Amino acid sequence: MRPLTEEETQAVFKKLAEYTGASLKNIIAPQEDGDRNVFRLSQNRVYLVRLSMANLATSIARDNLLSLGTCLGKFTKSGKFRIHITALPILAEHARHKLWIRPNGVMPFLYGGNIVKAHVGRYSEDCPEHQGLVVYTMDDVPLGFGVSARSTAESRRLDPTGVVCFRQADCGEYLRDEDTLFQSG
Amino acid sequence: MAPSKTRTIKNKHAGSKSGAGAPGKGGPKRSSTDGVSKSAKSKKPKGPVVSQQVKEKNRALLMKRPKKKTYTAEELGIPTLNMITPVGVEKPKGKKKGKVFVDDKESMTTILSLVQAEKEGHIESKMIKARQMEEIREARRLEAEKKSAEKKAKFEDTKEALRKKRKRKNDGDGGDNLKSISQTGSKAVKASKKKVSFA
Repeated sequence: MRPLTEEETQAVFKKLAEYTGASLKNIIAPQEDGDRNVFRLSQNRVYLVRLSMANLATSIARDNLLSLGTCLGKFTKSGKFRIHITALPILAEHARHKLWIRPNGVMPFLYGGNIVKAHVGRYSEDCPEHQGLVVYTMDDVPLGFGVSARSTAESRRLDPTGVVCFRQADCGEYLRDEDTLFQSG
Repeated sequence: MAPSKTRTIKNKHAGSKSGAGAPGKGGPKRSSTDGVSKSAKSKKPKGPVVSQQVKEKNRALLMKRPKKKTYTAEELGIPTLNMITPVGVEKPKGKKKGKVFVDDKESMTTILSLVQAEKEGHIESKMIKARQMEEIREARRLEAEKKSAEKKAKFEDTKEALRKKRKRKNDGDGGDNLKSISQTGSKAVKASKKKVSFA
């Protein structure tokens, strides 16, 4: 377990900034008790963890430490950062653009499908094309995140079967990717 | 002849002790050392030896060629070749070995603000582009609508004109028709039916 280098920090922030707005700085801001959140890299996975906990975790051998804090994603072998569904609570809290889907669209999305216009309940205004979106149910439960297929204005003119959002991650991955989502052994 | 005189004096001393050992010119020199010799030797025993050694050394040094100084490329100031230095071969001095971690709040905030500014710029430019495209599309749509409306109006006009023309025509020979219909009890078309008569 180690802190991130400058390049790594930049890659992580870039990916997070796709989905979040200016309030992202709150995740590294000091908390009331004087503690703060830091990034830690353990076996290619990046965790957002409280500094006090990270310090305690140094007493655990590298091979024995499976996970700590919130896993944000992992670095690929080519050095890119891939965000995981486990980062959803953080993204949902600071989301820039949002998309609410109707009850009839929840299951198709959770099974890994893209979102079609017929399933869209509400949509953030002024969302450009290929911009990160956080997907919610109509009662504001975050389900996952994706990338907008068209801008808001364009998607208004779209036919009901037209894709509005390309899925990136959904809560169904907790079951589908159970084996690979978390570090094991 | 002075030298001969001195020689004779020395020979006197020498002759008493070592007569046979000193024939000719070389002999007296050695004998003189022999005579006073012991005291002289005890006084400075190493003097001539040291000098001899030094001399030998000097001779050896003279014999040996002086070692040439080897210069490095930097000392000579030769222009460097245009070659690629592989990554990791040249290690910068005074720099920390290995990775440089970013763990303090200030540098993290700096990186975050840089990234966010970049992202904002991207999104802004995307939005502006989208808005411009939307405006262009709207203008095109309006133009197309206007054109189609014009076309429709023209078509309607033509239709109307045709209708009027037809109506006028109908108005012109409408009375006769009515008359003929009233007279014959059938339409004028029927009345004007061609008939074939056989003579």
